[in-house]
Amino acid sequence: MNKKKFSLGEFLRGNSVPIMFILICAFCIPISGFSPTYLLNEIITRLGRNAFLILSLLIPIMAGMGLNFGMTLGAMAGEIALILVSDWQIWGIPGVVLAMIISIPFSVALGLLCGKILNMAKGREMVTSYIISYFINGVYQLVVLYMMGPIIPIAHSSIKLPRGYGIRNTVSLLNMRQCLDDLLAIRVSGVKIPVLTLIIIALMCLAIVWFRKTKLGQDMRAVGQDMDVARDAGIQVERTRIISIVISTVLAGFGMIIYLQNMGNLSTYSSHSQIGMFCIAALLVGGASVDKASIGNVFLGVILFHLMFIVAPSAGAKITGDSMIGEYFRVFVSYGVITVALVMYETKKRRAKQSLGRQLEEDQRKGEKA
Amino acid sequence: MSEVKEKKPSGSRKWTARILTLVVLIAIAAWMFVIGRGHTVYFDNKTLELENGESIGTLQRVDVYVNGNRVARLAKRERGMATWIGQNFKMTLEITKEKGDEPYTQEVAIDLPYSLDGIVVNLPGYLAGRSQDEWMSEFVPVASSTTEEDEEIITDEFGLGDM
Repeated sequence: MNKKKFSLGEFLRGNSVPIMFILICAFCIPISGFSPTYLLNEIITRLGRNAFLILSLLIPIMAGMGLNFGMTLGAMAGEIALILVSDWQIWGIPGVVLAMIISIPFSVALGLLCGKILNMAKGREMVTSYIISYFINGVYQLVVLYMMGPIIPIAHSSIKLPRGYGIRNTVSLLNMRQCLDDLLAIRVSGVKIPVLTLIIIALMCLAIVWFRKTKLGQDMRAVGQDMDVARDAGIQVERTRIISIVISTVLAGFGMIIYLQNMGNLSTYSSHSQIGMFCIAALLVGGASVDKASIGNVFLGVILFHLMFIVAPSAGAKITGDSMIGEYFRVFVSYGVITVALVMYETKKRRAKQSLGRQLEEDQRKGEKA
Repeated sequence: MSEVKEKKPSGSRKWTARILTLVVLIAIAAWMFVIGRGHTVYFDNKTLELENGESIGTLQRVDVYVNGNRVARLAKRERGMATWIGQNFKMTLEITKEKGDEPYTQEVAIDLPYSLDGIVVNLPGYLAGRSQDEWMSEFVPVASSTTEEDEEIITDEFGLGDM
């Protein structure tokens, strides 16, 4: 059997981003001065808050559509559902469940729109989905700022702007704050473990593992590897791609609701704006790439990325005397890691193309000699 | 002769599954809508003036427990509050009727009207066994005398937001 030899160089090249982040965290943690209990508490809280959102990115990657910046659409659907549920005064876990159900039609509609547009922009999915998220953000603002009140009934003045229409900058979710996290929560030596949220995330992971083995999952993987071959094999490529985006959008909507119930308030016009960027950055930090991502990458990414997020401002303040340096650093790293991942992906693609060309040339030369 | 089974067209099975899923989701949503309705319940230990001119006096002290936690300790003419999800509100009252009396405990269950966000319960009236219309009323927040200024809408396209 041809067993692949372990190569340290290859390992380092393949895991350069997580290794770099491990080094950054290892450098910043002692300087930040945070206790291990505090850091563990923060990491577990952020794991429960963000993991579901990041898991929603896996399916479009499987279908070869890259990093779905359009997950913001699902986040907006989740926010609209939460605004409605808050106005109807549905609290606690029923409020979260109802918001999830209400978000589904919005997410499906937005996912269909996004999927159809992405099918028209094959090979440019990431930048297209990024711009779609800005476009839909405008529509979201139109709905939330002008339609909620006169067209979509909003009864409570605590949600509505004083002028009588539109939603306030912040909607309080105090009555559903951490209801999922607190239900079966346990404390282990000062660290709060949100068991129910982690169970939901674990179920989602199992669902993704199961989904990969289904006919649709296999079709997505085939489409992700080669669209032409998949089409020749009788797979409806466009439909499969649209389904992958719809699933991702619906999951992003659920993820956003889990995220916001943990936060306890909703910044109506800004909560969703950077969520895609940070989720994608976290996934890439976990060692994923544009064309390959696993559940392991999600968890490693959340831990490393958010550890950096927690310690960087404090470490920055202690090193330079200015806390803003750490703040800039983490923003710079978030955008930087996405840029590096995209450059690496493009380089890899070009290298593969070049080596294929060289192989073809060599074969031709051999054929001529023969 | 072997029995010939008619195979259902896959399209109709697909639609049946879709409709069934939709029905289940709507049913869950409706259920959540009912069981998740939140209310703020205010408890008054104030004299209840009835329409016939009769009045029910205050209690010396009432401790209100909801879900095992004390949410209010009411002296005469005081008000407490608690939040509750659902329509079957339950609380435990530890009542001291007159000064120097031994306090006694009473379990209370009240059906809250679905349509009301805030509900005021007059405890002396309730404990006197009067009708619900007499001791229950809607809490109407007092409108601010100054006109609230419209807030500036802040969008965050490139900022950090909640992260």
